[in-house]
Amino acid sequence: MQQTLEDFYKVVRAAGVKISPVDSIETSRSVQLVGFRDRQILKNAFQVSLAKSETEQDVVAECFEQFFKFDAFGMGQVPIEQMGHEQRQSESANTDDPIPMEGYDGDLPLAKMLLDRDKASLATEMKKAAREVGLSDIWFFTQKSLYSQQIMQKMGLRDLQNEIARAGDGDCPGGVALANALREAKDYLAEEVRDFVEQQLSMYGKNTARNLREEHLSAAKLSNIEQRDFHIMHDLVRKMARRLSTQYSKKKKRENRGQLDFRKTLRSNAAYDGLLFETHWKTKFIDKPRLLVMCDVSGSVQAYARFLLLFVYSLNDVLNRIDSYVFTGNLIPVNDIFERYPVEQAIDVIMDNYGMGGSDYGTTLLDLEDQCMDDIDNKTTVLILGDARNNFLEPRSEVMQLLYQRAKRVIWLNPEPENFWKTGDSVMYKYRPYCHLASCCNTLVHLERMLDDLLKSATATI
Amino acid sequence: MKTLYRDKFQSVNDIKSRLESADYICSEQIATCVYIAHHLQKPVMVEGPAGVGKTELAKTTARILDVPLVRLQCYEGLDEAKALYEWKYAKQLLYTQLLKDKLGELLDGATDLRQSMDRIHDHEDLFFSESFLEPRPLYQALHHDTGCVLLIDEVDKSDHEFEAFLLEVLSDFQVSIPELGTIAARVKPLVFLTSNNSRELSDALKRRCLHLYVPYPDEKLESRILATRVPELSEQLRKEIVSFVQSVRELDLKKVPSISETIDWAKTLVLLHSEALDAALVRQTLNVLLKFETDIEAMREHTMTFINKAHKRSAG
Repeated sequence: MQQTLEDFYKVVRAAGVKISPVDSIETSRSVQLVGFRDRQILKNAFQVSLAKSETEQDVVAECFEQFFKFDAFGMGQVPIEQMGHEQRQSESANTDDPIPMEGYDGDLPLAKMLLDRDKASLATEMKKAAREVGLSDIWFFTQKSLYSQQIMQKMGLRDLQNEIARAGDGDCPGGVALANALREAKDYLAEEVRDFVEQQLSMYGKNTARNLREEHLSAAKLSNIEQRDFHIMHDLVRKMARRLSTQYSKKKKRENRGQLDFRKTLRSNAAYDGLLFETHWKTKFIDKPRLLVMCDVSGSVQAYARFLLLFVYSLNDVLNRIDSYVFTGNLIPVNDIFERYPVEQAIDVIMDNYGMGGSDYGTTLLDLEDQCMDDIDNKTTVLILGDARNNFLEPRSEVMQLLYQRAKRVIWLNPEPENFWKTGDSVMYKYRPYCHLASCCNTLVHLERMLDDLLKSATATI
Repeated sequence: MKTLYRDKFQSVNDIKSRLESADYICSEQIATCVYIAHHLQKPVMVEGPAGVGKTELAKTTARILDVPLVRLQCYEGLDEAKALYEWKYAKQLLYTQLLKDKLGELLDGATDLRQSMDRIHDHEDLFFSESFLEPRPLYQALHHDTGCVLLIDEVDKSDHEFEAFLLEVLSDFQVSIPELGTIAARVKPLVFLTSNNSRELSDALKRRCLHLYVPYPDEKLESRILATRVPELSEQLRKEIVSFVQSVRELDLKKVPSISETIDWAKTLVLLHSEALDAALVRQTLNVLLKFETDIEAMREHTMTFINKAHKRSAG
C-alpha cells in the first residue's frame, strides 16, 4: 500500500503540486486514519493534506480520479480496499476480447490467464511488472514502446512466444488452434499494455512537456515568440513578477522596524524618577520607492512591444506604487487602461490607439520634463524600455541628464544588442552615460535578471 | 502533555452530524478535515471568500467539543506583545513604589553596593513572574487545562514577522518567553487559521497546516443551510431565494453575496412576511444581499430574468 501511495505522490508532483517528504509522511498518516473504505473521504483526506491552495485542491482531485481508476483490461472501477489484491470476479464479455479457449493444459501462467480471460489477474500482473520496471519514472512519449516491451517481458512474453512456437510446431490441429489463440491473445495483451503505459505517461509526465516549453520560451528572443504562446508567456512573466515582488515586500518590511527614541522616552519618564517604563519609539520609517515605467510602442520595437507591455502590466499587478507610460512621441499614462481591462485587451487597446509610428525620444523626454519631473525624487526609479531609435530627430539628452541627477536610478532596457547601439539612428550612446544601468534585454531571462536588480535597488536602504 | 480529548470524534460522519446538530451544515470535505486535524493534532488553514462560514466553523467546533474558543484577530502590525504576552509594567512600577520601604529594610545593613545588588538579585525574579504577566490569546490557548479551540483569524493580514513567529507555536505548541523559559501547551489546542487570500502566505506556514478551501455552497447545500438557519422560511420561498442567489453569483460583481448574506436576506424576507419573490420586493431588499452601489446597479437589468428563473425552479 505504501508503494501505491508513493506512486500517487509522484503523480501529484508531476502535476505541479510541491510535496515535501514531511508532507508525504503526514498525508500517509491522514490516510491511515481515515482508511480506504470510503472513496470520497479518502479523496478529501488527500485534498486537505496535499494541496496548499484552491487550485492545487482541484489538481489533487483530478490526479486522484485518474490514478485510482482501474480500467485496465476493460475493468470498471473497483473498490479501493481491493486495490493491489487479486480480484477474481469475472467481467461481462467485451466484443474486442479474445475468445476464451477451453482445454489448455500447459503450465505457463500467462498463457493460462490469457486463455481463461482472467482480467483481474492480468491487471494485477501487469501492475506488478510495471512497478518492477519502474514505470512511474516515465517522462516522455518516446519512452512508451520501451516501457511496454519491458512490461511484457516481465510478464513472461518470451515464454509465451516459445509456447506459441511449440504449439504451432507439428500438424496436430489442436496445437495449431492453440497457437492461433495464443497469438491473438498476445496481440490483445500488447495493446492493453500499450494503453496502460500511455495512460501512465499522461499522469507521470504531465508537466514535462510544458516545463520544456516554458524553458524554451524563457530563453527565446522576445521578437521570435509567436502569438499563440502569449498566454504561456503571460503566466511566466506573472510568476516571475510575483516571486520578485514577494522578496521586495519582505525587504520593505524589514526596514520598517522602529528604534527606541531615547530623547522622547527620557523626557516623558522624568516624572517617574527616570524609570523607563513609558517607552517611545521612533516613527517607523516607511520606504515608499516609486517606479516610473516608460515603454516605447513605436514601429521599430513592434515585435517586442507586446511583451514589454505584458511585463509592465504584470509589474502593475504586483507592485502598488508604479506609474506606467507608453510613448512614440508624446508620453501617455496607461495606468487607467491597465486597471480597467484584462491583460490581452489592455495591450490591444494600447497598441491600437498609441502603437506604431516613428518614435521621437526628444519629445518624449520633454513631455517627461513637463509632466513628471517635479514628482521624480531620490526615491524614484525610472525604467525605460525602448530601442532609442530616434529617426534622426533631436535626442534631448540634457533631459536625460537632469533625470539622472534627480532620480534614484535610471534603467534602460534595450531590445537591441549592445553593438547596434551606435549604428543608424540609434541615440543610445548619447543616453547611456545618463543611465545607472543600460542593458540589452530581449529574452525573458534577461528581463528577470533586470527586474531582480531593479527591485534590489528599489528596496535598498536609503 | 495531555492530548486533546481523543475520543470525542469517532468518525467523519460523526463530526458531520454533530456539526449539523449545532446548526452548521457542512460538506464532507470540511468534516474530513476537522477529523484529521483533531486526531493528528494539525492546524487547519481555512481559506475561502468572506462570509462562507470559516470563522463559524471554528466557533461551532469549540461548541461541540465543549471547550472554550480563544480568538486572535490578526492585523498589520500585530506583534508578540499583543498576541502572546506582555509584562504589566504599571503593576511592576506600582509594586516597587509600594514595596519601597520593604526594599529599604532588605538593603539595610548592606555595607557596599555589591552586597546591595546581590540582595536585590535574590528577589528580582519576583517582578518577572506570572503574576506580572498579561496573558494574550496565544498564551491563554496554551494554558487552558481543558484544551481549547484557537482561532487565528485573517492571518493573511498579519506581517511576515508574525507569521514566522507562529511557526513555533503551530509546530511544537510551545513558545519561548525569555524571562520564564519555554512554555509548552498543557493540552494541545485545536487550531484554525483563516485567510482571505489578501496576500500569499509563506510555504513554511502552509506546510504545517491542513488546507481547507471553503467555496460558495452549491444549490443543495445552501438550501439545507437556509432551512436550518431560517426555519420560518417557507419551502417555496427558500427554493426561490437559493436559485436567485446562485444566479447572482454568476454575475461579475465587486462583492459576490456569500452564505451569510443569503441568510440575512432570507431573514429580512421573513420579517417582511413575503411568500414569493417579486420585482418590487427584490429591488427594495437588494441592499441586504449586495453591498456596493455599483453591484446593485449592475444587478438591476437582470432582476426580472433571475426572478422568473427562480419561480420556474421552485415550481419544477
